[in-house]
Amino acid sequence: MPFIRLHNASVVFPIYNSRSRSLRSMLLSRVGGVVKTDGAGTITVQALKGINLELAAGDRLALIGHNGAGKSTLLRVLSGAYEPSTGFAEINGRVSSLLDMTMGMDMELTGAENVILRGVFLGMTIAEARSCMSEVEAFSELGGFMHLPMRTYSSGMRLRLAFAISTVRTPDILLLDEFISVGDEAFARKARRRLEHMIDNSHIMVLASHSPDMLRQYCNRAVLLEGGRIVCDGTVDAVLDRYINNT
Amino acid sequence: MEDLLAGFCAWQMWVLLGLTDIRQRYKRSRFGQFWITFSTGVFVAGIGIVYSYLFNRDIHEYIPYLSINIVFWTFIAGIVTDSIDVFTQAGQYLRHQALPKTAFVMRVLVRQLLVLAHNVVIIAVVFLVFGVPLPNTMPFVLPGLAVLLPAAFLISITIGLLCTRFRDLPQIVHSLLQIAFFLTPIMWQVDQMGERSHYIVNYNPFAIFLMLVTEPLHGRLPGWDIYGRAFAIIMAVALVTAPLFARFRARIVYWL
Repeated sequence: MPFIRLHNASVVFPIYNSRSRSLRSMLLSRVGGVVKTDGAGTITVQALKGINLELAAGDRLALIGHNGAGKSTLLRVLSGAYEPSTGFAEINGRVSSLLDMTMGMDMELTGAENVILRGVFLGMTIAEARSCMSEVEAFSELGGFMHLPMRTYSSGMRLRLAFAISTVRTPDILLLDEFISVGDEAFARKARRRLEHMIDNSHIMVLASHSPDMLRQYCNRAVLLEGGRIVCDGTVDAVLDRYINNT
Repeated sequence: MEDLLAGFCAWQMWVLLGLTDIRQRYKRSRFGQFWITFSTGVFVAGIGIVYSYLFNRDIHEYIPYLSINIVFWTFIAGIVTDSIDVFTQAGQYLRHQALPKTAFVMRVLVRQLLVLAHNVVIIAVVFLVFGVPLPNTMPFVLPGLAVLLPAAFLISITIGLLCTRFRDLPQIVHSLLQIAFFLTPIMWQVDQMGERSHYIVNYNPFAIFLMLVTEPLHGRLPGWDIYGRAFAIIMAVALVTAPLFARFRARIVYWL
């Protein structure tokens, strides 16, 4: 069974190219992680601090917090892209993050070529990616545009294609940054049904969102992030109450 | 180690990426990827004519000699320049998904091998035009490549890693590469330098690896001493790369 275990995980970014002069303004800013200077004068940003989190199959976790509280960084740690600077993260299961759906797509390539490229990044073989081409084509309703370079697409069409290929397979662990809405009303409805189907069929789902309704509807557990720490862990309603009362 | 294994297993990813790199670069031009061949060809012709006068060499011997060297130098230098941004170029992928870092190093090798395949045409054309018979030592290019590629893989990781962390390094690498071009027997021949050439040929890693693949095309077999030195370099690079990569592999995304 898929599971995720974070033990005392911290993420500290070194910022090599900024001068300490801007430190004061960064300290005064109210968003973002904790900014520090270490002995050598390098500025670091503490994006996450001492995160302990265990997720098992069936968990639908809501990530709640202000901008810069560490939600996106935590999602990237959960996806395995960032290995914690201290502590450890154990991620078991095939992860699919819809954090950046257009990742790995190339404007000069045709839609069809992009489907294969994106498919390979989702862990398919080239043959498998090719075999889901017709499904992607049908779902995205792109028709003849599939064989034109992607730079000729409108931004809506790009998202449609990206969404269609990204959701062709249901992963064990699904990571979402805000509930995606794609395209016009009819397509958005269709996309939403597909996403709901994906959420139902994935073992673990993590959703970062600012919309209380979305979180209540799809999640069964929540954590509140503040300055890179988990300050509250519990049911969605309880954590949302605390979040709203604090602001 | 795990990264290495996963990197190789994701071969479809790096082959596809390498192919796409070439395809995408020349997508909207009429001659497409044959511009690679064309531009190297022009370079060989230009340098060949000028230097055969300068060095007072017979153009029928000099151009074939030069074309072989330039084509493989382009390959080696291409790998070095491409490894500079091997990880920064892959930043978009690495930041969003857990992917084996070595897969992107393999992508560079695939890309440069494809460029090499296009440039080999020049050697064939030059041999035809000047009526040079194919040397029977030609098959020995393959063992040379077999030694060159692992070396390229290792050095690529180290260059990529260091250049991602220290953003001044790319400029230094570019300058060093330019110096290496003149210190390697590409335009000049070893016998022209006399006694002094011993040091810059025998202790210059570029010259050693270049000779591994070009000597068979010049009709000579690279001696065991060249192979020996090449292996020694690979061992040395491996001893640096392995601990470096093991220690900083996970840090790469933080530096992007």
